[in-house]
Amino acid sequence: MNNAAPLLQVRQVSASRPGESGALQRVLQETTLRVDAGEILAVVGPSGSGKSTLLRLLNRLLEAESGDILLSGENIRSFPPPELRASIPLVSQKPFLFPGTVRENLQAPARLRRAELPDCSDPSLQELLELCHVDPDWLDRDARKLSVGQQQRVCLARAMVGPCQVLLLDEPTSALDRPTADQMALTFRQLAREKKLAIIFVTHDLRLTARCADHVIFMANGAVVEEGPTSRLLNHPETAEVRAFLASGSEDDREVSP
Amino acid sequence: MTASIIDLSLWDLVTVYSLLLMSIGLAHLLKAGQSKDLFWSGLRMFIQLLVVGYVLHLIFALKTPLPVLLILIVMIGFAVQTIGARVKTKMPHFYRVVGTAILFGCGGMTFFFCSLVIGLEPWYDPRYLIPLAGMIIGNSMTGASLAVERLAAEFRERRDEIETGLCLGGSIQAVSETAVSSAFRAALIPSVNAMAAMGLVFLPGMMTGQILSGTEPLIAVKYQIAIMCVITGSVSLTTFFILKLGYRAYFTPYQSLRED
Repeated sequence: MNNAAPLLQVRQVSASRPGESGALQRVLQETTLRVDAGEILAVVGPSGSGKSTLLRLLNRLLEAESGDILLSGENIRSFPPPELRASIPLVSQKPFLFPGTVRENLQAPARLRRAELPDCSDPSLQELLELCHVDPDWLDRDARKLSVGQQQRVCLARAMVGPCQVLLLDEPTSALDRPTADQMALTFRQLAREKKLAIIFVTHDLRLTARCADHVIFMANGAVVEEGPTSRLLNHPETAEVRAFLASGSEDDREVSP
Repeated sequence: MTASIIDLSLWDLVTVYSLLLMSIGLAHLLKAGQSKDLFWSGLRMFIQLLVVGYVLHLIFALKTPLPVLLILIVMIGFAVQTIGARVKTKMPHFYRVVGTAILFGCGGMTFFFCSLVIGLEPWYDPRYLIPLAGMIIGNSMTGASLAVERLAAEFRERRDEIETGLCLGGSIQAVSETAVSSAFRAALIPSVNAMAAMGLVFLPGMMTGQILSGTEPLIAVKYQIAIMCVITGSVSLTTFFILKLGYRAYFTPYQSLRED
């Protein structure tokens, strides 16, 4: 199994962004990572560490300066961008729902790709909604009138209606209260296990990381400082940076669920 | 027909210019601070129109198409320049996009009208071609500015929506649809309003001019109807080109939103 190409592989990727002065600044330094189907990877680190840039490179919202990103062993540049993004959707930090009902939002990816609109009574879609804890009663409600937590769930389901293989999540719990965030962590685990998805999320939230990630990458100043299995990295960090970062969170946040 | 035209003497012009002096006096009285503006724009109008009058006098005598076409190109150049000055937020590649759109949109419509509808002999007869092209380009310019401005606003306000669409696998065409249609609508509103109010709220300038110079009102009306249809056609075609070329400029070659 280890000989097969990982689902998503990032090799020595660097990227620059225009800084406040307008001049290009290196924001990501020769970053390498891999994630397999069914696996959850948390990218943790302080603000400005290059986490969000990394996420946006993976579905080509941004272009890497050097290095390769491979999906099932194939360079992501060999896919037409819309096709790539349907396979690697990104759910942004602030849930964005199109004007209209929840049903219309769930049909939006197909509409955007000029594909046949999915039927919400289709068993596979029903299963997806159940996994994402999207109540079928919401289908005909105005999507923008749902609570933030509910909107986040609709966004999650909407991202996976298509041929999703790798799910990218930018700060998925930043707008949620703790019980909702905990429930979300459970949802991510179920999605990864049952749909054989790879999930990569970027977060400050150590509690979320502890509750659902298999692997953690800790980033600072655009570079990977430390990586490892979640429980090892959170409980026995090897670098001073990670220790300092963990110390700034509460004890409770670090406890690793079984 | 020429007998019915009353020429204005130099003295008549001096009389109407005294009205400008009155406006300047009133502006001064109300401390509106516009006296200088009124004076200079009045002077500019005098000089510019005098020059245009002489230029047209020369142009109408032209017997070859090349200088006429050259003048049309210069007019288009000025139109693009004016839109550039009027629009605050320009799209990437603004001049290329707007120049191409006006050249083909207005140019196409002008030749359609002059050659196929009126059937000018010769086809470049400057007496018709230049003023008609002026009206078509002038009106399309307004539509084009509105479209460019609105498209920029849509891309600014809908950034989240457009990026969400991209992230769900939408093509740049699919995710720009709402922005493009709303910009098209904005550009066409003046034409729609003008057609609906025509004859009721105001008598259009061209028709009034023709009537004053002795044309039968019914002929003037037919010309006015024709030119309004051509103007609307030109506004829609120019706007269509601007939007179809312009929305792409907001995206990178790898189909993500540009950062600037």
